[in-house]
Amino acid sequence: MKKIILLNFLFLSSVSFTSEVYIFESNVDEQRFYKLIHEVRCPKCTSGSIASSNAPVSEDLKIKIAELINEGYSDKEIKDYAKARFGNEVLYDPEINRSTYFLWFGPFFFLAVVLLGFTFRRKIG
Amino acid sequence: MNNLFRFFILIIPIVGILFFYNILTEDKFYPGANFKNINVPEFKLTGLQSESMFVNKDLDNEMLLNVWASWCITCRIEHGFLMKLQSEGVLVTGLNYKDEATDAINWLNLYGNPYNYNLHDRKGSLALDMGVTGAPETFLIKNGVVLVHYSGEVNQTIWDKVFIPIITENEMFK
Repeated sequence: MKKIILLNFLFLSSVSFTSEVYIFESNVDEQRFYKLIHEVRCPKCTSGSIASSNAPVSEDLKIKIAELINEGYSDKEIKDYAKARFGNEVLYDPEINRSTYFLWFGPFFFLAVVLLGFTFRRKIG
Repeated sequence: MNNLFRFFILIIPIVGILFFYNILTEDKFYPGANFKNINVPEFKLTGLQSESMFVNKDLDNEMLLNVWASWCITCRIEHGFLMKLQSEGVLVTGLNYKDEATDAINWLNLYGNPYNYNLHDRKGSLALDMGVTGAPETFLIKNGVVLVHYSGEVNQTIWDKVFIPIITENEMFK
């Protein structure tokens, strides 16, 4: 009898640990959800996606994203929702625009400068 | 060529030091402050001390919205300064964030109430819509538009350096 009671605790523990259940209309939506929560950074943590975080604000953001997906929002609209509230840095992949040109193309520029420098130095030497 | 190389070895760290010195000693360098103007999102929340519903038009024209909770330790530290602001005639409205009503009301009874009234955001829905990442956070609002969003404790220094310039510029709390 005691063993059965203890066994019940074991089976019930997984139920009580489930924090939130997200329900979607289709598998496609569910895939989109899991892709999105890996692309949105937790606004409160140093580094980590909201998928990996259980901070209250991340939990809220995940629930909100699930809600927006079910309301028919596109991925871009959902990312814009997060960006408008928590700034550009909330997206893991920064968008390519005027203020991020340096970020995306800066390294190639420096590489070019260094390569040019090397060829230039050989000629002098 | 060698001289040019030496010159760069000297100049690069100097530029680096000047760059960071400039950023870190800048007067306006407050990472918690955000001056992006946004409209207060649509909301419908109950009051903390009353069951009546509050919507956007119930907000005062010129006000501070302070996000707080009884579980928030920094809010306890910030509390004294909010009491001072209230005594100086600044309208401070509370947004009670992810908190139990009884805990929050006990907290106010115990330490004093700096708020003209409180909205009870049990699930943090309005807070999420306003880009709140935790508590305490403070919004300066004029006619339904957020002028300043400050994440973290507001104290005399932050008030003078971050809020006062915007308040003077917009001729608020007169």
